[in-house]
Amino acid sequence: MADVAASVGILTQIRLVAGLRWRVLRNGLRKKSNRFDLIGLIFVGAMSALFVFGLCFAFFAGAYNFLSEGRYGWLSLLFWAIFVFWQLFPLFVAGFGAGFEFRTLLRFPLNLTSFYIISLAYGLADFSALASVCWLVSMILGVAAAKPAVLPAMPLVVTLFLLLNVTLERLVGSWLERLLSRRRTRELFFALFILSMVSLNLIEPVMRRYGPILRPLAQRIVPYFSWFPPSLAGRAIASAAQAHLGGAVLGCAGLLLYAAVFSIFLWVRFAKQYCGEELSETSAPTAAAPRTVANVDEAPDHLSALSPQVAAILRKEFRYLTRNSFSFFTLIVPPIMVLVFSGMFTGKHPSSEHPVSPEMLFPGIMAYLVLILMAPAYNCFAFEGRGIQTYFMTPVRFREVFLGKNLMLLSVLAVEMVLSLAMLAWRLGLPSLPVFVATLTAIVFAVIGQLTLANWSSLNFPRKLEFGRMRGQRQSGMAVLIAFGAQFVFGGVSAVILFGGRLMENHWLPAEAFTLLAAAAVGGYFASLDALSRVAEKKKEVLIEALCR
Amino acid sequence: MTEVAIRTQKLSRRFGNLTAVDGMDLQVTAGQFFGFLGPNGAGKSTTIKMLTGLLVPTSGSTELLGLDFAAHPVEVKRQIGVVPEGMGLLERLTGSEYLHFVGRMYGLDRATTQRRASELLDFMQLADRPKALIADYSHGMQKKLALAAAVIHGPRILFLDEPFEGVDALAAGALKALLGRMTERGTTIFLTSHVLEIVERLCSHVAIIHKGRLVAQGSLEELRAGISGEAGSKTTLEEVFLSVVGQDGAERPHLEELSWLT
Repeated sequence: MADVAASVGILTQIRLVAGLRWRVLRNGLRKKSNRFDLIGLIFVGAMSALFVFGLCFAFFAGAYNFLSEGRYGWLSLLFWAIFVFWQLFPLFVAGFGAGFEFRTLLRFPLNLTSFYIISLAYGLADFSALASVCWLVSMILGVAAAKPAVLPAMPLVVTLFLLLNVTLERLVGSWLERLLSRRRTRELFFALFILSMVSLNLIEPVMRRYGPILRPLAQRIVPYFSWFPPSLAGRAIASAAQAHLGGAVLGCAGLLLYAAVFSIFLWVRFAKQYCGEELSETSAPTAAAPRTVANVDEAPDHLSALSPQVAAILRKEFRYLTRNSFSFFTLIVPPIMVLVFSGMFTGKHPSSEHPVSPEMLFPGIMAYLVLILMAPAYNCFAFEGRGIQTYFMTPVRFREVFLGKNLMLLSVLAVEMVLSLAMLAWRLGLPSLPVFVATLTAIVFAVIGQLTLANWSSLNFPRKLEFGRMRGQRQSGMAVLIAFGAQFVFGGVSAVILFGGRLMENHWLPAEAFTLLAAAAVGGYFASLDALSRVAEKKKEVLIEALCR
Repeated sequence: MTEVAIRTQKLSRRFGNLTAVDGMDLQVTAGQFFGFLGPNGAGKSTTIKMLTGLLVPTSGSTELLGLDFAAHPVEVKRQIGVVPEGMGLLERLTGSEYLHFVGRMYGLDRATTQRRASELLDFMQLADRPKALIADYSHGMQKKLALAAAVIHGPRILFLDEPFEGVDALAAGALKALLGRMTERGTTIFLTSHVLEIVERLCSHVAIIHKGRLVAQGSLEELRAGISGEAGSKTTLEEVFLSVVGQDGAERPHLEELSWLT
C-alpha cells in the first residue's frame, strides 16, 4: 500500500506547476546552442514590457479622460480592446505547435475541481492575461483618479470581466487543442492563417473601393455588439458613474451570466479530459482495400534522364513540398503579392500618380521571388528529421542529394516566375527585351550562386523544423545570417550592374555582364558538389544529431 | 577458408571525455546470425553506427566484406542494410513511397523496386493502408517498414538495432522466419537486442560489450562452456550475460535501500 500521508493542497499544486514551467525553461537554456536564446528572451521580454507598460499609460489616460469628460460610452472601447487581445493573441500562438501538455498533469492524483482551478490559474499566467490584467489595473487607477465614486464598482466589474475572459480563453484553447491534435486540422488551420495574413494586404484597396457601401452596413451591425461582455462591462461602469444602480447591476449580471455559461462549458470540456479523452494523430484502422499494383513498365518515367538517385530525391522533395502546408502555402504568396503590387502600380489606380513601368517592376518582382524562395535553401535538410540517416545509409554521394534538392527548388522557382510573369504581363505588360534577358540571366547568377552557399550552410548549420508548425520553430540563426549576407551581396551586385547599364545608356550591357556571371556561377556550382560531398561526410554527425532530436 | 563479413581493429570512439567504444577488435564470419549484447550505455548503438557509416570512429578501422569502410564507403553501403536506432524513416512519405525511394537510392530499376516494395509491404502486413503516411504508423509498423527498407536491395550484411522492440508477437514470428531464411542463404545478420531470449533463440554467435570494451565473444556454446567450465552446459544466455557484466556488486543497487517499497 502506498504510504501517501495527505493530499496536496491546490496552492501547492499551482506552485509545483509554476516551478515545473520554470525548470523546463531553465534546463532548455543549459545547452550551449540554446544560450543565445537567453539573449533573445531578454530582448523579447524587454520589448514586451515596453509594449505592456506603454499601453498601461494609454488605458489609464483613456479611462481618466472618458470619465472626467463624461464620455461614458467610450469606456466600452477600452474593454473591447482588452477582450480582443486576450482572446485572439493565444489563438495566433497556439495554432502553430504544441505548448505545455497541460493534460499530462492528469496522471497525478488531482480531482476535477483541482484540475479546473489549476487550469484557470495557469491561464492567468499567459502573456495575454498578464498584459490584460496590467491594463485593467491601469483602468481602475484611471477611474479612481477621475471619479473616486465609481471605484467600488470598478473592481467588481473588472473581476467579473477577468473571470469570463480567462474562462473563455481556456475554453477556446481547450477546443483548439482538441481540433489541432490532428495533423490535417493543424495544417488547415495554418493554411487559413497564411491566407488571412495575405488577405490583410487587400483590406486597404477593398475599403477604398467599397468603403461607402460597407459603412451603413457596419452602422446597422454595431448596436448588436452592446450585448457582448466588453460592452456590458463598459455599460456597468458608465451606469455607476451616472449613479444608475439598475444599469450597473444589469451590466454586472450580464457579465456574471457570461462567466457562468463559459464556466459550465469549460467544466464539461475538462470533465471529458479528466475522464481520459484521447487526442491522437492516428486515425482508426480502415478495412483492407484490394491493392492494385501498377505496371511500371507501362508507366512512362518522366525523370528517366536523371540518375535513379537524383530522380528519387526529386520525387521525394515534391511529395514533401505538397504535404508541408507551411512550404506549400508560401508558394501561393508570391504570385498573390505580384497581383497586389501590380494592382498598386498599374497607374489605373486613383492613388497611383506615378505608375511604375514594367522596366522597373519586372526586375523588382523577380528579385522579390528570389528573396522569398531561396531562404529555405539555406537549411534544406530542416524537414528530413530522422530520415537524414537514409542519405548516409544508402550508397549515394551527397552531390546527388544536393542535385535532387536543388532541381526541385529550381523547378519551383521556374513555375513561380512563369506565374508571376503572366500576372505582370496581364496587369502591366512585358518589359523590353534587354531588361527581360538581363533579369533572367541575373536570376541564374543570383540563384545558382546562392545555391552553392546555401548547400554549404545546410551542412554546417542544420536545424530541425516540424511540418506545418511555426511556434517553437526557430530557423538556424547562422543559416539566416548567411542567407541575409548572400542575398545582400548578390542583390547588390545585380543592382549595381542594372543601374550601370542605365547610366551608360547601354541596354545590353547588363545582359552581357549577367551572362558571364551566370556562367561563372554555374561552373562554380558544379565544381562545388564534390567538395560538398566531402563536407557532408565530415559533418554527418552534426547533421544527424541536429535533425534526429 | 571462411569469409569474414565484419572485422574491426582497435575501433574506438570518444565523445569529449567519455570513451563510448574502446579499442574493439570484433570479427564476424559471413553467414552468421550475430548477437551484440550489452547493458544500457555500454556502446552497442555507437558500435553499430560506426559499422554502418553513421558515425566516424575516433581511431581504428572497420572492414566489411573485405572492404575498408573509410576507403570505399559507397561500395560497402551497396552491400549492407541497416535498421538504425530511431529507424531513420522519412515520415512524410507513405510506406510504399518510402520503399520506392530507398530502392531507387540503392540503384534498383523501377520495375524491380516496384515488385519488391509490393512484396515486402504484403509480407510485413503494411499493405492495408496504402495512403497512410509513415508519421501516422504505429511504432511496430514503422519498425517493420524500416526492416523492409533495409532488405529491399538484398544486402549481404544486415545490421539491426533492436529490431523487435515494439513489434507484436505475430509480426515478430514472421520477421524471425525471414531473418532465419536470410542467414540460410548466406546473409550475415548483426543484431542488438535487450531481449536475451530472442538472441539466444536466433543467434549462433554472440559478443558482449561492457563500458565500451568487448568482454566476451564466441558461439553460444563457447560462452556457456566458458562460464560453467564444461561443454554442452545448460547455462542460459542471461546467466552468461550477468556473469560477464553484472557480477560487480558495487554496480547493482541494494534492494535493502528501497525497503519502503516492499
